[in-house]
Amino acid sequence: MQQSNTYIIVFSAILTIVIGGLMSLTSVVLKPAQDKQVELDTKKKILGAVMDISEIEDPNEILAIYDQRISSTVVDIEGNEITQDDKGNALVAEKVNIQKNYKRSQEERFYPIFMFKNESGIVDAYIFPMFGAGLWDWISGYLAVDKDLNTIRGIAFDHKQETPGLGARITDEVVQNRYKGKKIFENGSLKSVTMVKGEGHSGLTDYQVDGMSGATMTAKGVNKMLEHYLACYTAYIDKVKSNNKLALN
Amino acid sequence: MDAINIAIKGIFIDNMVFAYFLGMCSFLAVSKKVTTAFGLGMAVIFVLTITVPANWLLQEFILKEGALSWLGASFETIDLTFLQFIIFIAVIAAMVQLVEMVIEKVSPSLYGSLGIFLPLIAVNCAILGSSLFMVQRDYTIVEATAYGFGSGTGFFLAIVALAAIREKLKYSSVPNGLKGLGLTMLITGLMGLAFKSFIGIAL
Amino acid sequence: MSAEAIEVEEVKELVAEPAEPLLSKRRKRIVQDPLNEDNPITVQVLGICSALAVTVKMQPTLVMSIAVVFVIVFSNLIISLLRNLIPNRVRIIVQLAIVASLVTLVSEVLKAYSYDMYKVLGAYVGLIITNCIVMGRLEAFAMGNKPYDSILDGLGSGFGYAWIILTVAFFRELFGSGSIFDFKIFEAIGWTSFPTNGLMVDSIGAFMILGILIWIQRTRNGYVEH
Repeated sequence: MQQSNTYIIVFSAILTIVIGGLMSLTSVVLKPAQDKQVELDTKKKILGAVMDISEIEDPNEILAIYDQRISSTVVDIEGNEITQDDKGNALVAEKVNIQKNYKRSQEERFYPIFMFKNESGIVDAYIFPMFGAGLWDWISGYLAVDKDLNTIRGIAFDHKQETPGLGARITDEVVQNRYKGKKIFENGSLKSVTMVKGEGHSGLTDYQVDGMSGATMTAKGVNKMLEHYLACYTAYIDKVKSNNKLALN
Repeated sequence: MDAINIAIKGIFIDNMVFAYFLGMCSFLAVSKKVTTAFGLGMAVIFVLTITVPANWLLQEFILKEGALSWLGASFETIDLTFLQFIIFIAVIAAMVQLVEMVIEKVSPSLYGSLGIFLPLIAVNCAILGSSLFMVQRDYTIVEATAYGFGSGTGFFLAIVALAAIREKLKYSSVPNGLKGLGLTMLITGLMGLAFKSFIGIAL
Repeated sequence: MSAEAIEVEEVKELVAEPAEPLLSKRRKRIVQDPLNEDNPITVQVLGICSALAVTVKMQPTLVMSIAVVFVIVFSNLIISLLRNLIPNRVRIIVQLAIVASLVTLVSEVLKAYSYDMYKVLGAYVGLIITNCIVMGRLEAFAMGNKPYDSILDGLGSGFGYAWIILTVAFFRELFGSGSIFDFKIFEAIGWTSFPTNGLMVDSIGAFMILGILIWIQRTRNGYVEH
């Protein structure tokens, strides 16, 4: 049986309105919960680089710790603070999309930086977000550096789809712990830290990290990401260092 | 340069069928003869190269957060991402229909060979999948077009190769339960293994 | 014929027919057939795309199965309720629109309450739209059957799909990661040096396991494809 064109049009219009309405409703109802999840996810990653939060299950507690301990800023490649984005809107470090910024040229990127304060409110560590390409897709990381801006306090990697059991091990605590205590500057100039090929090495220098066997390509991506982003942060790091020196004098 | 890399990656390394299992239904169902597989493959390339950039434009100027800012400042905070699935699938269905009509008018002979496959393509996961991956990976429009073409070509390559193998297999004796789908799955696995050798080629 | 007229006829038909028990033999078959003899994956060759990509681990597979069962059952129900109203010429796009809305619903709920899962499943939730099982059931069953039967049909097809992908995921996680639901099973029984198989984690492992599964099932059922 064939229906008339009018019937088809009316039917489609009603269907569109009903579906559109229902979907907008769901979206509006669920939006606050979703925003909170996204916020929690970012803050968890940032905190994860400096402290062990795997034991804390209550999301509100994590958010409370974050508000208490972390302050943030956004800088450009020269280390100057930026407060507005291209359109003149206020920039919030937590909302800066590192993946989107990675696509821009180094000079145009916004670089968010997070400061971790100790109990008495003095900056104790700096956390630098970074982003790059792994073997299959993107990898990202939050590198936490002590207040000397040289010794690595901790690192938290994330990845889209590195091979489970091989490259995906960058998210293992065992692998991430290998970075702890390593250094990124040698005599004041940037050297970065490199993951070596193969596993089970001994006698590694302060700038080398034991590798993951079978995941050389992922390690290469990690090394490239660290080197690239640390170079971008160097201007800021130097600035903070000289400010600290002035303060000491 | 980036665009070419993305296309090559889409064909060999991130192959729709072998790496992501997308478009499997038609991959398995229409791979009994090389000629039909060829037709379907061509149609997929065609539709993908059109729909991925089309969906890119929609995503960029209508769907994503702040995308409507060209309408005025008050639209800046609107986020229509929740309409993504339904809009993408509608665009794909509409495009397929449109392409079908255009081909029918312009080249009846091409329509004769592609015609029956076009409606099938609207529900081919590889088509919707490419659009969704394109969003996830944040491509530019040139890259998105290259990606659409590359993943289409990857699908084409896979289905024609499988059809060629299955044509030969008709003459071999296979255990009853393994005939057809079972064996095709195993072959696909082995072909995927061969495609793994492209990993690690630096582009 | 106008839509109201169809509905009136429908009511008459309902009155005339003697009430069928809630779980009659026919209805049991609607649920049971897709679980084994008419399985959507292994026999009808449908819905393989989104099925295999998420089967590396049990947990995402379980979430995916629940999502698919939900979408099949509800889209079957909705289409079945609307079946006499849907204009024939635009029925495919109407079906797609309803499925897409349900999938959006699933994806939004996942994003709000299980963000980790949302990240793992990524684009694959969206691909339920083009899962041929869903469209296939709508077209073949829901367009021509009553709502209650359509729900049963949806449940049957959904679970037929679910048990196959859960089985595939079981073997892939067991041999690929040495765990079940992220519980390190081999370490727990003291076999710490269990060699995990990289092939299982890869897509190839899924093809192989599914191929073998189909072989076993078809041999048992005596189904031969020509």
